[in-house]
Amino acid sequence: MASIQDKALYDPVDGRPTLILGAPDFHAVTEAVARPIEQKTPAGWWFFFLPSVALLGLLGVAVAWLFWEGIGIWGLNVPVGWAWDITNFVFWVGIGHAGTLISAILFLFRQKWRTSINRAAEAMTIFAVMCALIFPGIHVGRVWVAYWMFPLPNQMGMWPNFRSPLLWDVFAVSIYGTVSVLFWYVGLIPDLATFRDRAKTRLRRLAYGIFAMGWRGSNRHWQHYEVAYLILAGLATPLVLSVHSIVSMDFAVSQLPGWHTTIFPPYFVAGAIFSGFAMVVTLMVICRHAFRMEHIITIRHFDYMAKIMLVTGTMVGYAYAIEFFIAWYSGNPYELFAFQNRAFGPYAWAYWTMITCNVVSPQIFWFERARKSIPLLFLLSIVINIGMWFERFVIIVSSLHRDFLPSAWSYFRPTVWDVSCLLGSFGLFFTMFCLFVRFVPMVATAEVKAILPQADPHHEVRPERAGTAAGTAPAGEGAY
Amino acid sequence: MPPLGHDLPEGPTFGVLAEFATPGELFRACERVRDAGYTLWDAHTPFPVHGLDRAMGMKRSVLPWIVLAMGLTGAAAGFALQTWVHSLGYPLVISGKPFFSWPAYVPVTFELGVLFGALGAVFGMLALNQLPMHYHPLFHSARFEKVTDDSFFVSIEVRDPRFDATATRRLLEDLGARHVEMVKS
Amino acid sequence: MSHRHDRLALLPEQVTLPPGHPWRRLGPIGAAVGAVGIVASAALGTSDPERFFFSWLVSFLFFWSLALGAFYFVLIHWAMQGGWGVVVRRIAEHVMATIPVLALLFVPVLFGMERLYPWAVPGAAAKDHLLHWKEPFLNVPFFVGRAAIYFACWSVLAWVWTRGSLSLDATGSRATAARLKRFSGPGVIVLALTQTFAAFDWIMSLEPHWYSTIFGVYVFAGSLVSGVALIALLAVLLERAGPLSDVFGAEHRHDLGKLLFAFTVFWAYIAFCQFFLIWYANIPEETVWYKVRLEGSWKAVSVLLVLGHFVVPFFYFMGRTVKRKATALAAGAVWMLLMHFLDIRWLVLPALHGAGAGFSVLDATTFLAIGGCFAGVVGWRMRRCALVPLRDPRLPESLSYESA
Repeated sequence: MASIQDKALYDPVDGRPTLILGAPDFHAVTEAVARPIEQKTPAGWWFFFLPSVALLGLLGVAVAWLFWEGIGIWGLNVPVGWAWDITNFVFWVGIGHAGTLISAILFLFRQKWRTSINRAAEAMTIFAVMCALIFPGIHVGRVWVAYWMFPLPNQMGMWPNFRSPLLWDVFAVSIYGTVSVLFWYVGLIPDLATFRDRAKTRLRRLAYGIFAMGWRGSNRHWQHYEVAYLILAGLATPLVLSVHSIVSMDFAVSQLPGWHTTIFPPYFVAGAIFSGFAMVVTLMVICRHAFRMEHIITIRHFDYMAKIMLVTGTMVGYAYAIEFFIAWYSGNPYELFAFQNRAFGPYAWAYWTMITCNVVSPQIFWFERARKSIPLLFLLSIVINIGMWFERFVIIVSSLHRDFLPSAWSYFRPTVWDVSCLLGSFGLFFTMFCLFVRFVPMVATAEVKAILPQADPHHEVRPERAGTAAGTAPAGEGAY
Repeated sequence: MPPLGHDLPEGPTFGVLAEFATPGELFRACERVRDAGYTLWDAHTPFPVHGLDRAMGMKRSVLPWIVLAMGLTGAAAGFALQTWVHSLGYPLVISGKPFFSWPAYVPVTFELGVLFGALGAVFGMLALNQLPMHYHPLFHSARFEKVTDDSFFVSIEVRDPRFDATATRRLLEDLGARHVEMVKS
Repeated sequence: MSHRHDRLALLPEQVTLPPGHPWRRLGPIGAAVGAVGIVASAALGTSDPERFFFSWLVSFLFFWSLALGAFYFVLIHWAMQGGWGVVVRRIAEHVMATIPVLALLFVPVLFGMERLYPWAVPGAAAKDHLLHWKEPFLNVPFFVGRAAIYFACWSVLAWVWTRGSLSLDATGSRATAARLKRFSGPGVIVLALTQTFAAFDWIMSLEPHWYSTIFGVYVFAGSLVSGVALIALLAVLLERAGPLSDVFGAEHRHDLGKLLFAFTVFWAYIAFCQFFLIWYANIPEETVWYKVRLEGSWKAVSVLLVLGHFVVPFFYFMGRTVKRKATALAAGAVWMLLMHFLDIRWLVLPALHGAGAGFSVLDATTFLAIGGCFAGVVGWRMRRCALVPLRDPRLPESLSYESA
């Protein structure tokens, strides 16, 4: 296996890299993806699942206590009316965006390497959006009138305020969740049919069969399916851009120094993709090893993901630099103070954590060996997510805690309930993800098959090549 | 396009089903079946095969138009809703903005347009494919279970005007099918 | 497999302008037009120097953004190891090679600084506390020095990538290709930072009390749209004229059309973000910039930009057929170039108080002046080398490309 891996790492000058190693045939791909679902539950799965469920329980307790006692159990005060709650919201929405990018945007760019990871990434998106939606839901205070957020005719004749970015969030994030589920499900239909046809027990056949909708691989169906998939990808792309732009507008439409700045929408989108890819890397490092899919989710996939993290991290760095420059250039003393306060005020520790994690650490990905080192990728993916959490925290709290009126200045400290809600949200996320990998094919089987060299109807099988990684120029031609 | 609703033959036989080993063989077979003038037939594959639509002589899908119509409807509905709420329903001066503050309506308008477009794409696709259709005669074939794994099939219905029990079978065998069978209804 | 690298996918004669071909005259004609334009502008400019400098700046910025747009195309293409775009990359390289000449054409702006930039007027900083605050940055020597740095960076980078590409024609050296790819990433970063600050210096400081952090991205988005539009237009024209007819086809047009669509949407997104956030917060020191552009004669221009630079192209470039047909794509490209020119005017001219949105003869003469020189450089380069990177490793892939 190792030698095939090494050979495939070279990018032949006039060919394209091998994406799936070991030259599997179609059936081998089906078998590889089916194994985690059809085997007995491995012990390692319980090792992740049980603690996740425990944390999920913690979330339940924290939210129940929050509803009972009120927002005061968190560390919020005046003037810091938003802290961990909205940080967590933006954090989770951001993570979700990478899944849509991999599914939709890489599809539009015809990047075939996405097929190994898009199913898991889309699932990650759905679960991240679920976690994200919790926070605006629970932070409203009077949860029992949460339905006021929706334009439902009522006897008071009252309507939600469509001019508020908080309401745009409601629409944007819930529509994002809906479209993500639709996109994920549409992609799943052919794979569910695969599992329906393989099912050994009546229950499995029924369960997979119902959701497979009777899919029978008809090319007349594939035609409409491909069009629908392309359109969904084309819709999901601006959706991703718009959702995190709208989330950024929660801050940018205000008049607060440090919040009101025009670059926020694209800056937040770049940051979201950055943190999302980091989470995909974290999950894929674990999954590919646990389910022995190193030949489908290869080092090359991580190489590409690391490059995307490098690009988006650089965009985030650019935004930091421009914000800093314009804060000075503007001549606005409040704007300048906001930035000086971030770097040298009471939250400087958070600010420099953010800079180290987001700007400094990803620079190592300029080096190819770093991009292809699994331990380093895993470590850095966690560091980057920590940094991105701190970025949202710094933006929110540093602008709030230094109010226009110095007598209102304060310092925010989280309480145990703030921490519980954050940890609990990770519990929800990992619980859902564990269930996903256990019951749903975590690789888009049909799509992976479609990118194998032998899927091309004009592919000729050359007998002397039968032993090498199929379909590419031989290795050793030199990297380019 | 056949009308919505399950459109299946009534006789004892559905048609002939031929299995091929590789996408290349299937591709060439489809070209020949298309050129032979068959109309009520289909190819079945575990994944979409590049160029097969043209090899089968299929026309372009109308789905994009459905999506466009739905998307514009959603956007218009969203914009109309917000305009009505803020100009007619319960006009309030909020943060000094005019009643008809159209820039502020853009986010929700856009999102609803995307939502309706996506719903149009998914449910339009399912409708055009007449899915869900959990029952189909082809599922009677045991070999057909491999269609979602690694086998490629061509099916020609008995109702096709050019269908002939022996000639059609022979055509498919000559095209390199590794297994041909008649499928019951 | 090594024999494939030695065999040329194309013969040079197929993709070079043959002697006597009409396009070989583009160089001299362009230069002549440029010379005439410069003389005419100078003559007219003596009676209305303020308008001269503003018109010159608008025309300069238009062609500068085309050059940078082409530059991004080339660098991003190398960075992403794109396959399909190789066929048009040489055209983009010709456009980006105009940068050293644009440096010379920038010089008149330096002479007009006092008329263009309020902060450059001697004694301005003493009377205005904001200009006083910004003086460490907005002062004549530093401005000139920065401009020199920008042009130096761009000229060096352009030279590296154009020379590298030409040397590939001769040698097909994989090492060269690898080097061009490896440094394209850092190249984009240098380009992005220098373009951002050039936008701040040359455009944003026309109204020095105003600021916007997204401004650099806005100018970047405009240059992407216009750069790709120019590349598409030139490719279609060269296909019609003969030299590219063997290599450039519907598949490539389709992808260029998709890029135009995507970049148009991106431009609209950035433009809306900037407008929307300033509109919503309603802070006077920010809204003043939009106020001028939404009143009087500029209001019509703003509406025209929304409709013409976004709404119409959005629906136009959405369809599959339009992107693939040569005339339709070329027409769309010309339209986008027009809209981009309008965008640049809309950015710059409101700073000229009392000017209004109307056109003046100087707009035309300065456009010919700079455009002529621009066309002259592009035409001259087209004569000298193959119109397609002959030994690029990904050329065969580009030639047999099928757009999805």
